[in-house]
Amino acid sequence: MGLIVFIGFSILLTGLWYVQIVSQRKYETSLKVQSFRTVRIPAARGRVLDRNGEVLADNQPRYNINLFLEDIRPQFLYEYTNSVKKEFVAKHGRTPKSTERWELERQARYRVGSNLVWQVSSAVLPQPLVLNPNPFERHYREQRAIPLSLVTDLTPQQIALFMEKASHLPGIELEVEPFRFYPHGSLAAHVLGYTRKVQNKENEDLSKEDEEVRFNYPTPVDVGVAGLESGFNEDLEGKYGAKAILVNNIGYRQSEETWIEPSPGRNLVLTLDLEIQKAAERAIAMSGPETRGAAVVLNVRNGDVLAMASAPSYDLNMFVRPNDYSKSDWDRLQDTVLTPQWNRAAQGTYHPGSTFKIVIALAAFEAGVMDLNYEVYNPGYFLIGSRKIEDNNAPKGNWAFMEAFKRSANTYFIDVGLKAGAERIIEMGDRFNLGEKTGVVQPSLESKGYFPEVGQRTKADGSRWKDGDTANLCIGQGEITVTPLQMALVTAAVANGGTLLRPRLVAQLEEQGHNSLPEVLPHQYRERELNVRAQHLEWIRKAMLDDVEDQKVGTGKAAYIPGMGISGKTGTAQIRTPKGIDHVVWFVSFAPYDDPKYAVVVTVEGHRISGGGVAAPKAKEIYKTIQKIEQDRLRNIAVH
Amino acid sequence: MYEATLTQKDSRIDWLLLGAIAGLMLVGLAFIYSASTAIDGNSRFWIKQAIFYCGGIGLAVGICFIPYETISRFATVGYWLSIALLIWVMFFGVTVFGAKRWIDLGFFRFQPSEFAKIAMIFMQASFLSRSPEELRDPKLFMKALGLILLPFVLILKEPDLGSALVLFPIGFGIMLVAGVPMKFLWRFIGGVSLLVVLLLVDILFAPPSWQIKLEEYQRHRLLVYFGQDFAPRNASEADRQRLKQLQKDKSYNVEQALISVGSGGLTGKGWRQGTQNALGYLPRAVAHNDFIFSVIAEEKGFLGSVMVIGLYSVLIFSGIKIAYQARDRLGKLLAVGVVTMLFSHIFINIGMNIRLMPVTGIPLPLLSYGGSSVLCSLIAIGVLQNVYIYRRSH
Repeated sequence: MGLIVFIGFSILLTGLWYVQIVSQRKYETSLKVQSFRTVRIPAARGRVLDRNGEVLADNQPRYNINLFLEDIRPQFLYEYTNSVKKEFVAKHGRTPKSTERWELERQARYRVGSNLVWQVSSAVLPQPLVLNPNPFERHYREQRAIPLSLVTDLTPQQIALFMEKASHLPGIELEVEPFRFYPHGSLAAHVLGYTRKVQNKENEDLSKEDEEVRFNYPTPVDVGVAGLESGFNEDLEGKYGAKAILVNNIGYRQSEETWIEPSPGRNLVLTLDLEIQKAAERAIAMSGPETRGAAVVLNVRNGDVLAMASAPSYDLNMFVRPNDYSKSDWDRLQDTVLTPQWNRAAQGTYHPGSTFKIVIALAAFEAGVMDLNYEVYNPGYFLIGSRKIEDNNAPKGNWAFMEAFKRSANTYFIDVGLKAGAERIIEMGDRFNLGEKTGVVQPSLESKGYFPEVGQRTKADGSRWKDGDTANLCIGQGEITVTPLQMALVTAAVANGGTLLRPRLVAQLEEQGHNSLPEVLPHQYRERELNVRAQHLEWIRKAMLDDVEDQKVGTGKAAYIPGMGISGKTGTAQIRTPKGIDHVVWFVSFAPYDDPKYAVVVTVEGHRISGGGVAAPKAKEIYKTIQKIEQDRLRNIAVH
Repeated sequence: MYEATLTQKDSRIDWLLLGAIAGLMLVGLAFIYSASTAIDGNSRFWIKQAIFYCGGIGLAVGICFIPYETISRFATVGYWLSIALLIWVMFFGVTVFGAKRWIDLGFFRFQPSEFAKIAMIFMQASFLSRSPEELRDPKLFMKALGLILLPFVLILKEPDLGSALVLFPIGFGIMLVAGVPMKFLWRFIGGVSLLVVLLLVDILFAPPSWQIKLEEYQRHRLLVYFGQDFAPRNASEADRQRLKQLQKDKSYNVEQALISVGSGGLTGKGWRQGTQNALGYLPRAVAHNDFIFSVIAEEKGFLGSVMVIGLYSVLIFSGIKIAYQARDRLGKLLAVGVVTMLFSHIFINIGMNIRLMPVTGIPLPLLSYGGSSVLCSLIAIGVLQNVYIYRRSH
């Protein structure tokens, strides 16, 4: 008898040992799976600042009204026992069967839920909301532990109404949710880009090693989908945290515990100067809100992009609060002519027109086929083979370099260009990295334009290269397209004495909240030395100065500001559109002449317009702001 | 030898046994408190249990004043009284969860099947405490068997399969020790086994029309235990889905008990720190009674389980010792009956918590919440003490 008992207890102990010691892990896992729901805690997204700390992209609190189901369980039960069930009994004369009970309970829940929704929404909204039964039931079944969102994005007035009239309701709570906010709306939209709320992020890139947590409830996070928001998304978004909700056997929330604190993203400090950026956008918009164009402002000494504007632009907040914008706003975004989402400054490729004469002149000087005194007669046209290129820019007569440049005489530059030869022109363009991306933003957001390769004997379409093609190239037409950004770099290289720059937009990353030293992103601003004679660059710079300062014949005279030493070159090129011939006009410039610091390039698309008439005044507008900034700086230095 | 006689003479009471019982009662209070207050802070289950303990101790002490021979004279009366109560409960009992097992006494619901176990022990013990020659009579064996079958059938009808089945090991234990010839006992075992096997085969494999009309929930419990699908092979898809869900629900208690016990690990999560019960995964209706062991194992771990089994070992082995030391056959058989009853309960209940046994509503003696169970266990222990006290002479 003792033996049987002994064996019996041994069996129990062995069983317990197996369950509690050997299989402990397995049962602990089951316990976690059934009683914890993991929820993502989004990290505070880094802000985007201009070079002076002005905020370009910010986070704003958004107030939402949520309903916590676990708080209204007593109401569910009360509604069921006191009305739904009684009504059933009154109607059918019997108590509900267990199979019917489920449906009746659902009805009771919906009544309680819709009543609450009605009370809340009639307090804060002009029209009360009607709770949609199916999503409500789905939320009840699948996400009982997390709150149900009722009204989102409350205005301050609505918050006040809510606090006064509805905050006492059971299960109803006001939640603060960080939302992306672009205080300047459309400013630098193409550079900044925007974010979208994405829910299933970790399911998309589950392959990433650091994504070890899979959430039951992945709270939506802001993810950059365009511009720098996208390119620097990882730095900006930080690392989200995780919290665990302990749920009871019927899935209601019991308690919460933060497992991993989120670590905030880093602020992005740009090289942009808010004032100059504003000026650039204002300048383009001078000729109307639908003006298509771009402006780039560079620091010619270090490649900092001070402004990069593309018009038309769009309000970045559209993507954050889509419902605040009308259908016509959204339609405009898709307009095939305006193409507001297209960054003309870095993605727009155009023939450079006469602005390319800067490169032609440099190639000719370097080739030794001309000097300052070399003269060419302009009969009003240039004959190449049987083709006649009109030259209405300069009057008939003999012109030397300086005069020909500021009058933008086509004959002159075709002559010296042909003398230098296509080979040397292409080689010079190659030194300026034409036809290649600048690397200022992520490659997908930039075009490389088109420029023939060194040694290339054919045109882009494969046909034979003829002298006429060289002549075309001499006036910036034909086998060449450039972006405004590329032209800014060409201008900057001439201005700074022959250094082709590598532009940058992001200066540093700084931690949010605490005063640790920011991480200055390494920037090798010298892309390449042009290796040309300083004298030749100086001749071109002088010619560009004259182009603006000669108030009689200078094509760029409209950009003139006394004492600023603005030096520039205008250009006009034809672009073929489905609707016929259209124009793109240019003004490329630097200033001050004596000690160049800024390069300003303006490009405008339009019909029957000229670089001198349209683009130069816009550059002047930008220089006015630069002048003011410089004067303020000098004043500050003087004060301190 | 001298010393041994002295201690035997001096100790009228088995202190080790009493210590183990006191320990079990403290554990019981502590974990009924933990299990019930985790759900409802105002729960008074533990206080009620303490009252049951006191009442049970009172009854046990009372029993010790009357020599067991004297009590046994009323065995037949007690037995038939318990049968009468079982019949009474069939007609006038309180139905809880579809079973008629209780008689409502106002302040407390009395479960006659618990009382029937004690009554049967007395009946069986006094019936079989006769000379071995008489026990070789098959008619006598059949009568003893009948004494088991009568309450068995009545309890089965309540329905309470667990309590009914427990009568068999009790009866078997008493018969074995009484000296009923082995060939009878083998037949007894064979018969019971055959019955059980036939029952299981019928329930698990036979087509529905051939199956014994078992209560649906009993069938489900057995299917769960043997890991069988609820759905018959020819069921429609909708039926299959419905039955699958049902199966999940029915397996639920066992699953949750296993998770509770298993997640306790070596040392447990600490008293009142268990989540399975607090969050309601371990169903509230059973956490503090049938599944109290899960709560202990989750909160005190393997060490806690070993402690509980240790205390029970002391109780059971003390009982066996008392049986050996008993003055006469009656005392011995009473002690054996009590020991087999307690042991069967312990083994089935703990086994059920770790899926060694199918789920039956068998309480864990002294630990599970419940007046009838506590009173019955303490009366049984009182009987043990009685046998111990009167082991020498009047």
